[in-house]
Amino acid sequence: MATGSQEPRNPARSASAAGPGRDLAAQIGLVARGDSAAFDAVFEQIGPSVFGVVKRVIRDPAQSEEVTQEVMLEVWRTAAKFDAGRGSATAWVMTLAHRRAVDRVRSVQKESERERRIAAPDIPYDEVSEAVESSLERERVRRCLNSLTEVQRESVTLAYYRGYTYGQVASLLGVPTGTVKTRMRDALIRLRDCLGVAQ
Amino acid sequence: MKVKLTRASQRDEHTLAGAYAMDAISAADRERFERHLAGCEECAQEIASLRETTAVLASATAEPLPAGLKERIMAAAAVTRQQPPADETEPVPLAHGKWARTGTWFRSLAWPGRLTLAAGAAAAAAVVAAAVVFGVSNGSMQQQLDQAQASSQQIAVVLTAQDAHMTTGTVAGGGTATIVMSHSRHALVFTAQGLHALPASRGYELWLTGPAGTRSAGMLRAGSHGMTGPVIASGLRPGDHLALTDEPADGSAHPTTSMMLDVAL
Repeated sequence: MATGSQEPRNPARSASAAGPGRDLAAQIGLVARGDSAAFDAVFEQIGPSVFGVVKRVIRDPAQSEEVTQEVMLEVWRTAAKFDAGRGSATAWVMTLAHRRAVDRVRSVQKESERERRIAAPDIPYDEVSEAVESSLERERVRRCLNSLTEVQRESVTLAYYRGYTYGQVASLLGVPTGTVKTRMRDALIRLRDCLGVAQ
Repeated sequence: MKVKLTRASQRDEHTLAGAYAMDAISAADRERFERHLAGCEECAQEIASLRETTAVLASATAEPLPAGLKERIMAAAAVTRQQPPADETEPVPLAHGKWARTGTWFRSLAWPGRLTLAAGAAAAAAVVAAAVVFGVSNGSMQQQLDQAQASSQQIAVVLTAQDAHMTTGTVAGGGTATIVMSHSRHALVFTAQGLHALPASRGYELWLTGPAGTRSAGMLRAGSHGMTGPVIASGLRPGDHLALTDEPADGSAHPTTSMMLDVAL
């Protein structure tokens, strides 16, 4: 790949992020030019995380596949809009993925509150430790989640992994909405520092 | 009065940063918060760093993709037109000036509407090309292909397969379906004409069903001149049938109404 090309405005080339995220940004720059091999590479790198987070929120495997498809096609369609100066490629894709998953869950909720599937009871469980396989990433996330206060941790897991709104989280935890809002922000800031996320 | 409130309400708005970064807010709150972000570069930076954090939460959930999913999506991408980048010779419209300066990529997420499934975002040209192909079912396929290929690589892949063949079916309730399939490519191209119009809350969903189970092959999308599709369904297995049902517009995980079409493939 020609990395020394004279395209100062191309964010993929001037990405400052280090590590695998840099490759992803560069690949997305190529996807923007219609490079399907690069799209394949993006898929290999980020597809499992997209599917994972979408399924964590939606639960239903078939719907999760559909939303994963929507997300990846949006990456394909809008690759040219990705701006590496504003955040990592991973964050861009994960934001798309999570938002679409949440939107799907909420539109379904609204549409058919009564048609709730009997086959899929909503059993609460430890969202992160559920996975049998362990990875460094998972381990790190679990450790950092455990460093939060209980309300902070519950707020994050219910909101992010379950797709609840802060209002729903507040009523589940029996805490005023103002408190939940503050806890959510505090929790993410603490997680950011614990995970060593670049700012 | 209004001026006095600004600082307090700004501070109040900003406590939503965490909920916003986790998509834990209603659509109305989301919009309001994004207006707040547009005028606050510092806030936009905080959101960016919180989004990096939630991205790590997402990465921790990674799991292997189901078989065939990547292939289906790659096939759909092949017939999906990409959005062009900003044209640097064009003056930035005033309304976008602010966005361009303090704008962050996540703002593009606020676009309304949802990408439809399968080949939903396929170029209109692909629909036209398919109409040309299917419109002349006993004409020279190769001749029609030249036009289809120009706008739709994926359709061409199915149509040019050695074993490609065409079949039609009658849809219960009205309409006809045309299917071109290739078992060697494990894919088919579906289009239909004259289907009974459904209310906005409903849609036609396509299924592959057979020994491998029943899998959704995507929602049909209304085209022009009463033509629907084309939908490209991949992951075709031996013994599969193609079925069509009436489902909620978002699609269902499994067929919930009776089959309106059943074609052995």
